Amino acid sequence: MTDPVVRNSRREAIIIGLVWLASTLFCCFYSWWFGYGSAEHPLTSQDVRPIWGIPSWAFWGYIVPWVVCALFTIWFAGFYMVDDDLGRDHAAELESDIREGVVDAQG
Amino acid sequence: MPKVEAVQAHPATLVALALFTLISLGLGVVANLVASRKAGFLQKYFLGNRSLGALAVALTAAVMSGGTFMGFPSLVYSFGWVVGLWIASYMVAPLTVLGVLGKRIGQLSRKTGAITLPDLLRERFGSPALGLLTSLLVIFFLTCNLVPQFKAGGVIMKIVMPSSAYTWASGEDLAVTVDMGYIVGLAIFTATDVAYTAYGGFLAAVWTDVFQSLVMAVGVILLFPMAMAASGGLASATTKGMELAGDGFAFGPGAGRSFHPLTLALSFFVMWAITGMGQPSTMVRLMAFRDSRTLRWSILYLTIYNILIYIPLVFIFIASRSILPGLEKPDEVMPRLVIHLANPYVAGLILAAPYGAVMSTVSGFLLIVASGLVRDVYQRFLRPKASEREIEWASYSATIGIGVIAAVVALNPPKYLQLIVVFASSGMASAFLMPALMGAFWRRATAAGAIASMSTGAGVTLALYAYGSYLGFHQVDQGIGPRPQMFGAYYLLGFEPCVWGLLSSLASGVVVSWLSRPPDPERVALLFDQQPADAPAPATLDLANKERSHPTDLEQH
Repeated sequence: MTDPVVRNSRREAIIIGLVWLASTLFCCFYSWWFGYGSAEHPLTSQDVRPIWGIPSWAFWGYIVPWVVCALFTIWFAGFYMVDDDLGRDHAAELESDIREGVVDAQG
Repeated sequence: MPKVEAVQAHPATLVALALFTLISLGLGVVANLVASRKAGFLQKYFLGNRSLGALAVALTAAVMSGGTFMGFPSLVYSFGWVVGLWIASYMVAPLTVLGVLGKRIGQLSRKTGAITLPDLLRERFGSPALGLLTSLLVIFFLTCNLVPQFKAGGVIMKIVMPSSAYTWASGEDLAVTVDMGYIVGLAIFTATDVAYTAYGGFLAAVWTDVFQSLVMAVGVILLFPMAMAASGGLASATTKGMELAGDGFAFGPGAGRSFHPLTLALSFFVMWAITGMGQPSTMVRLMAFRDSRTLRWSILYLTIYNILIYIPLVFIFIASRSILPGLEKPDEVMPRLVIHLANPYVAGLILAAPYGAVMSTVSGFLLIVASGLVRDVYQRFLRPKASEREIEWASYSATIGIGVIAAVVALNPPKYLQLIVVFASSGMASAFLMPALMGAFWRRATAAGAIASMSTGAGVTLALYAYGSYLGFHQVDQGIGPRPQMFGAYYLLGFEPCVWGLLSSLASGVVVSWLSRPPDPERVALLFDQQPADAPAPATLDLANKERSHPTDLEQH
């Protein structure tokens, strides 16, 4: 039977991966769409439209998502992640295996 | 890098830095005294007996380095608001860096008894060749990364030292021609950093890291209101920045140059949030935390720390463009701004931040390289029967020896600090992340697949940097990112090399695993299935199997 640490970690890793993907796509494409100028469509001081002094594309493109991500992380790590037992430490056993297994260690 | 005469600080700055260094040395001594003698020396010296608390894991995973306080501010100063997007993936980095692999690496390292990354991969896949390849790549990439960090430490020390501290050594003329200030600064930095790291081991590195991270946070929090007051606020700073640098200062892809086009924006969400998971320094911390609860709290702490540090840093250095217009060397913006805005004692405290970042980065890297040499080469391949005392002396000697070698190489320092740091980080992530993910979550992953994944990822990154450097040497401008230099990346289809390194590593790892013989089911069951409390480590299983098949071999030893 699969170890519950493996099951829980895999589920949590998939959720984290989806959050990373969503934040990447939103921040990059929102910023590119609303905050990037080009030779054909240059942006000027009229396009800054500051919110609390921050250009509006930066405010909505990465400042607000940063706050949203922080709130999600607080919920996820504070209430969703499982406190799994990681088991016994075999460091001393490996140390003695290395000393005993000269043939194995040297291939 | 800053010229000494350009940013010479007040003597109070030197006092603050001296105090900072003394506290770090003191922490090294206390760490050595406090570390339990019950566990084996290597586990204590290189892993702190898996006893790290939440704050320690969070702040040592904060990925601060000299670049955070020197390179990043100069980018904001030069290119404006788009650099906020460049760093924005730190919003998810606490989750990705600590949450994806944290519990599984913590569990696998306990199940196998591993205390280093090569140990972990070797025991997970049952392959000495994989362990050796991991050791060699860790040593190569981290040594590349150590040299620029030593240079940064030497330069900061030179900035704050009075010139009388080094001109006595050889007279004014020689001091100017051989840059005696840098050499003395480098010597002081090396002596203090190597001393506390070698004496206190992993716990010393972690405790000083925590102390230094807290100092950095205080520095940023103090600087923020000063910068806002001096610039007249963000709206005014943005307007002045646009007048000085052009309209691009407020927009992407950056002022004066296509610094951060969409492809690089996507790449840097991979660069900080994903490659951070693949750094050996991160994985060692994931092997060292106390329990799952500690891991959860460390994610919370790191989230709060990142939001308090990085967003204010963007605001501060947007403001710096209007406070210090027309800097010839944007790399100097951080020390210049601090000296311009703060009284000398506060300036001393804030300038201690980059020095602390460099110190903590160096101490962590030194221990990883030393552990690779002692555990994975010396003990595993040369002297498996070495006594505890012999291993202890080998560890001290390796830590000191590597520090001295890196300092000697830094006497003739490389020019492209930040680029080398990015190269080494990309290379390590491309080499180690996919094998670690495969080892943690995929039963069918094989040793051959992990070796293919590691060599392909590292090879692709090296090749893209080699070609980028070739183009830079011939002054071919790729049109995006930093201007061409002698050392740099080739942006294939506009993406950072780390993206190609990770993709090729994943593809080769999956294909070769499927093509190779399935892994030993007994080992896989030990590491993936529920086991009784007295289940052995995989190495014990190997020895038992070997004894069954070749009983005389082991008896002879």
